Amino acid sequence: MLDVVYIVLTLGFFALMVAYVRGCERLGREGGEGEGRP
Amino acid sequence: MTANGWLQILVFAAVTLAVTKPAGLYILRVYDGSFRWLGPVERVIYRWCGIDPEDDQHWTRYAAGLLLFSAVSMLVTYVALRLQGSLPLNPFHRAAVADRQAFETAASFTTNTNWQSYAGETTMSYLSQMMQLAFHNFTSAACGVAAAVALARGVARRSGGRIGNFWADLIRGTLYLFLPLSFVLALVFVQQGVIQNFASYVTVHTVEGAKQVLAMGPVASQEAIKQLGTNGGGFFNANAAHPFENPTPWSNFLSMAAIFAIPAGLTYTFGRMVRNQRHGWALWAAMFVLFAAGVTTAYWAEARGNPIHAARGVDVVATATNPGGNMEGKEVRFGIANSALYATVTTDASCGAVNAMHDSFTPLGGLVPLVNIQLGELIFGGVGSGLYGMIVMAVLTVFIAGLMVGRTPEYLGKKIQSREVRMAMLYVLIFPAVILLFTAASAVLPQGLAGLNNAGPHGLSEMLYAFSSVTGNNGSAFAGLTGTTYYYNTLLGLGTLFGRFAMMVPMLALAGFLSERKTVPDSAGTFPVTTPLFVVLLLGVILIVGALTFFPALALGPLVEHLLMGLGKVF
Repeated sequence: MLDVVYIVLTLGFFALMVAYVRGCERLGREGGEGEGRP
Repeated sequence: MTANGWLQILVFAAVTLAVTKPAGLYILRVYDGSFRWLGPVERVIYRWCGIDPEDDQHWTRYAAGLLLFSAVSMLVTYVALRLQGSLPLNPFHRAAVADRQAFETAASFTTNTNWQSYAGETTMSYLSQMMQLAFHNFTSAACGVAAAVALARGVARRSGGRIGNFWADLIRGTLYLFLPLSFVLALVFVQQGVIQNFASYVTVHTVEGAKQVLAMGPVASQEAIKQLGTNGGGFFNANAAHPFENPTPWSNFLSMAAIFAIPAGLTYTFGRMVRNQRHGWALWAAMFVLFAAGVTTAYWAEARGNPIHAARGVDVVATATNPGGNMEGKEVRFGIANSALYATVTTDASCGAVNAMHDSFTPLGGLVPLVNIQLGELIFGGVGSGLYGMIVMAVLTVFIAGLMVGRTPEYLGKKIQSREVRMAMLYVLIFPAVILLFTAASAVLPQGLAGLNNAGPHGLSEMLYAFSSVTGNNGSAFAGLTGTTYYYNTLLGLGTLFGRFAMMVPMLALAGFLSERKTVPDSAGTFPVTTPLFVVLLLGVILIVGALTFFPALALGPLVEHLLMGLGKVF
């Protein structure tokens, strides 16, 4: 019965983590202070 | 405390020191690609999976690969556990695992936590044990080491955010590190008496004439990776206190040595990768000091025993025929020294296997495993996670040292600026936030309070331990908490996921950011990271971060329980 809820919860969590990766990348760009990629 | 007990602890410490270099060199060769004795197998896997091992991934792609693999493998395990009743290798017709427990178990094993709210021998089929749980034992451990090696690459080189190939790291770690070592250790365990079979359960008559059913199964193969991969999930409910999982003093010693071998070796690997071996040893020294403090406290507290027992005439003094101290919840086979040592090792290293019940330790004895977890599982730590947790603390240490002298901090030649510190702080703050928020919610919600079996500070300790254990990806249970409810299964499962991935992502970002920085040579203003002063400062940062975040909760739990125990109160 609750299988769908748990599967959606799992997918939702990992989708959140992917967004978190993008957020961290954005934070990194903002805080790069001039020194970029070689 | 006895001389024999101390001798065993000292021998264990010496073995940990002795295995650090060989283990570190072995790991180095696995991940730098020079160790290729299974090259044909490796190439076939790459071809079938469409992997280019030379594809140096940006940290965002590395993180995405790790998340994708974890999500898919977790969902497969969830479905397989729910369909267990219809799948083969199920001679005792175990039914489908309940939805809430399947979610928690899948999350727990995917994250290297192995928190178990079920009894393995009465819940899981042989197929579930071998193809789902053991699979995660290998791959979650390989993911952890891969992430640590990726961070080491980020520190060691300038590559524009590229930190290696996740898929190659995952396969190499599994193929060259965990599979062969587990195979050898499993054979040693079998020689020691750990069972390995597909036999039916055996009914025996005890000396008292009662009937007892003895569970069988492929235990040794799971036991080896359980310890080497710092997973900790037992085949049996009693975990390493069960004589079929841990039959002899040698199997007990080897288990503990296996738990520390790879995390200790990784400090050496890191030193080699960043071409600063003395820094690798400095990290090792910091870990060792915390380990030594923990085992000394736990052994002292358990050997001292419970004054309430003494007041009621129980002999708590060790003699030739009486172990003395607090033997409640401990195996007579292992005694106090080996129970205290095992509890310290398993919680230092985010393993979670237990050979004694931590809930039955004295308040200060139980405080040690709890604090070990709450310091961030970096005292050797989980495979990979221990090293990257310690590196994050080292970054914070040089940042604080830099603030003290007013210079831009550097870590191994890389400048530490705001974005690196942001990632380090995200890593540090998520951990206590999850633990304390979930514990606080459970302490006030009726669903949370319904799971308690002990009142007062001991009940709070049980709750705090549960959320610390899952968020720290340790998996050991303090026991005493009824976790088989929708509330706890779901929340504890989520705790494992946040504790693993919400911390791994900023750590990988830190790796990527560091790899974008050029390496600058040491100058007069560089804080040296190889000296005793650095080790002391690193220890200070770890303890202050831990103390500031968890001391209030610990004061309400084990510390007040210890004081009340002195007044004769029990909970």
